[in-house]
Amino acid sequence: MRKRYVEAPGRTDEASGLRFFRKSEAVDLFFVGYGLLIVVLVAVSYAAGVFRLLPHDPEAVNLDLMLAPPGTAGHLLGTDFMGRDLLARLILGIQAYFLPGLLAIAVATVPGLALGVLAGYGAGRADRVITWFSNLVDSFPRLVLILLVIAAFKPDIYFIMVVVGLTNVPATVSLVKVKIRFLREKNFIEAAEGLGLPRRTIVLKHILWHHCRASLIIRATLGMGEAILMETSLSYLGFGVQEPTPSWGNMVQSGANYFLQGNFWPSTVPALAILLAILGFHLLGDGLNNLLERKAVY
Amino acid sequence: MSLKGVKPVARVLAREVAVTALLLLGVSVVVFCILYLAPGDPFSLLLEGQMSAGAPGQDVREAMGAPNAWHARYLSWLAGMLRGNFGASIRTGLPVLEEISRVGLNTLLLTLGSMAVTLLVAVPIALYAAVRGVNRVSFPLTMAAYVVSSLPVFWFGYVVIYLFLHTFGLFPLAFGGSQGTNRLYLLLPIVVLGLGNGTLSEVIRHLREEMGRVLSEDYVRTARAKGASVWKHAFKEGFLIPVTEIVASKIPFILGGAVIVEQVFNWPGMGRMAWQAAQDRDFPVIMGIAVLAAVFVRAGNLLQRFVYIAVNPGASRETIGRRVA
Amino acid sequence: MSVSPLLKIENLKTYFYSKGRQAFIRSVDGVSFEIRRGETLGVVGESGSGKSVMALSVMGLVGAAPGVIAGRIGLKTDGVQKNLLQDLDDYVERVEADDRVVEVRKDVVGWQKNVERLMAMVRGKTVAMIFQNPKSSLNPFLSVGRQITEAIRLHTPCKGKAESRERSLYWLERVRMDSPRLRYDNYPRALSGGMCQRAMVAMALSCEPSFLIADEPTTGLDATIQSRIADLLAELKADLGVTTMLISHDIGIIRRLSDSVAVMYGGMVVEYGPAGKVMAAGPESGHPYTAALLASVPDERNIRGKEPLQAIPGDVPDTIHVPDGCRFFGRCVRVTAAVEKECAGRLPPLSEITPGHAVRCWLYGES
Repeated sequence: MRKRYVEAPGRTDEASGLRFFRKSEAVDLFFVGYGLLIVVLVAVSYAAGVFRLLPHDPEAVNLDLMLAPPGTAGHLLGTDFMGRDLLARLILGIQAYFLPGLLAIAVATVPGLALGVLAGYGAGRADRVITWFSNLVDSFPRLVLILLVIAAFKPDIYFIMVVVGLTNVPATVSLVKVKIRFLREKNFIEAAEGLGLPRRTIVLKHILWHHCRASLIIRATLGMGEAILMETSLSYLGFGVQEPTPSWGNMVQSGANYFLQGNFWPSTVPALAILLAILGFHLLGDGLNNLLERKAVY
Repeated sequence: MSLKGVKPVARVLAREVAVTALLLLGVSVVVFCILYLAPGDPFSLLLEGQMSAGAPGQDVREAMGAPNAWHARYLSWLAGMLRGNFGASIRTGLPVLEEISRVGLNTLLLTLGSMAVTLLVAVPIALYAAVRGVNRVSFPLTMAAYVVSSLPVFWFGYVVIYLFLHTFGLFPLAFGGSQGTNRLYLLLPIVVLGLGNGTLSEVIRHLREEMGRVLSEDYVRTARAKGASVWKHAFKEGFLIPVTEIVASKIPFILGGAVIVEQVFNWPGMGRMAWQAAQDRDFPVIMGIAVLAAVFVRAGNLLQRFVYIAVNPGASRETIGRRVA
Repeated sequence: MSVSPLLKIENLKTYFYSKGRQAFIRSVDGVSFEIRRGETLGVVGESGSGKSVMALSVMGLVGAAPGVIAGRIGLKTDGVQKNLLQDLDDYVERVEADDRVVEVRKDVVGWQKNVERLMAMVRGKTVAMIFQNPKSSLNPFLSVGRQITEAIRLHTPCKGKAESRERSLYWLERVRMDSPRLRYDNYPRALSGGMCQRAMVAMALSCEPSFLIADEPTTGLDATIQSRIADLLAELKADLGVTTMLISHDIGIIRRLSDSVAVMYGGMVVEYGPAGKVMAAGPESGHPYTAALLASVPDERNIRGKEPLQAIPGDVPDTIHVPDGCRFFGRCVRVTAAVEKECAGRLPPLSEITPGHAVRCWLYGES
């Protein structure tokens, strides 16, 4: 298979002002759009209760129409084993993970940034201690740790998400630390200090805002993906949101028994929603990163 | 290998073991804190369980002067654990360690098997992509792996069971059956966890990046120029180290996935036991499982460090802990 | 006695493609020369002149696409002439406009496989190469001695462990490595740059190749070590008489070791001939670029007299937007009104001014 290389003279090489829309940029914008669509659905979810946007009451039982497949009249995505509309439950189910997910991201990011800066910027001792703590936190499988916490505290989803966030702190720390090490090697930090910039400015503005923000955005979207997976896994196992409140996880679980009989939709619809949501956030992160990184000089 | 390298290497190995021991100590502290701070004083239950499950002799002494201060309780609990006394299950009353060992092997099988599956799928894709770059073959495969990694494993398991049921007519009945078809069924959770543990795309990406980087290193170019086998030269830095790194760092994820997969397949393992324990608030069991899981994670990590040190001639110097994000 | 040359390169073109600019980077744009047995050809040029890429093209080590797209590399192996770029035209299609290649269609994967097949017999055994940055060019995970032994066992009849080890040690001594037995077990990180380069030379020569390519062997080493390595290469040249292509931008080492010299500029050879003639280029003789290059290296008199350095005015040539005419036009100080139009408009061919000495310049050639 021959690859074709064509010289196209007359094209400007440097980016200046308006740049012609390149194919890969379109792809990134698509990813960002996809991710934003998810966010819009989130908004709909929260607004739904207030503005009565849902097609049906998510808790309305309709025994005449159990396990209806998608496309049935009035039920775009079908119904579950109790005749409840899947689409409505799906939309409402977003609430089970979104705000808790944000909490997890916040808990992962803020201490992570602080510790990362300490480890990267400070003395070698701080670095070693923080690394040890990071390794310590990483020693636990997240789900097993959560189960332990559940056994001990019988907590609500927000508490659990705080724990999830804490288990993600090492990742943020590592991210910031690596960036600082990179900047140190390139002598940026030395130069900034030499110019007399106050440490706070160097850290907040130069290191964190300019250099880390792209990676942090990706980390945040990955974190949301993890939060979704964690919340749905826990609800699947029976530890999260309880019936009749919908969560995508418990929807899969309740549909599981009927799956093997051939009624796959009650389980598959929420599972696909999980897949598309996690992918959506990942792609959002990737797209944002690529768009932001284009502006980077090196 | 020259003999001169032995002493400094032994020192580095000892240091790694010491760090691991220290980390495990930290693990015990974390677990202790969680249980100690929990409402309803589960810790006392735990200690009592330890005493009843332990040998009669020394516990008489302990029963007489039950420690009250938190540090004393911690030490007593730790001492019990180190002796292998993890207390007794609240639900069954049996010693925890025994219970766990009964099922631990199943989870071990599941975990190791699924790691093998992940590698079996990831390695060819990663190596192909490293050599050929992004093309009509590697791109869809990588994308497919990305999608598969985002699949919720608890749904994926049902899909696989359903497919299996309808193609082979196998029923997920009791284990231990010696029939050929039942044996085949054992593979299912391993395959499901291997594909669905969410790490597939990262393993591919890490291996492809590292191997790609190594293949363009100067020393590999020299190997090519002298007519030597490129793979032999690229192997250590481009394959062995990245694979052990990524596998070791993903063990926690695989263990977490095992909890779910054991639920889906009704696989009698530590994961399902953990779920049961969380439901029943059976602290000793869940604590034991958490600690053992952490031990397993650290053991994997230690092994990876050993490989790294064995391969790296510079290892007699300070080796900073490498972290795979 | 008509002896066909050991290496004969004809019209070699190696291009790279920049996706961002949708243009070719014409690294090697029609290079031809030959090297006779026993001769050392020095290839001189500044960074970006294409000399390293040319060497990599000979070895089939060009990785990026499209890579080698035209040419013939004749190598004499075992008395038989072989084209290292055999069947290239089966894999490449070139589309030209105004004597310039504007489109290339190449089966990159197929060609790479073909190259590997062709080069497998030759690499290490007939042609050996040593590189710049010796420290990073050695496998950091293997001891230096084992890497030499590996080459020996691959390409010489010496296959036994003890045998090949002895041979490695012999060669380590030959390259004047101190404490060869100790250094044999050392890893590259324990050796200095100079020692690593000696080890690379040992590794290359231990298989007794007919042809050695040395790509900037002293660049990147300390100044004092540079002269030591140059000494070593001179000594080995006298002892072994290996045919060598020595690439460097260091005029001193070129002057010292070369029998013939090829001067490269902007991807092309601009002057080629016996070392004595080429290195004597001055304000009235030789290619203007060669003369300027030689003049830019200060000698003792310039330094003592604190005379200003003679830089070459202008910028490094652009290998993407290649001009129609002579590539040195614009920086050339010897342009006369008579040839100016030619220099700007047409690329001068490489023409002989005396037998064996060719220059690519309108000042000499027929218009």
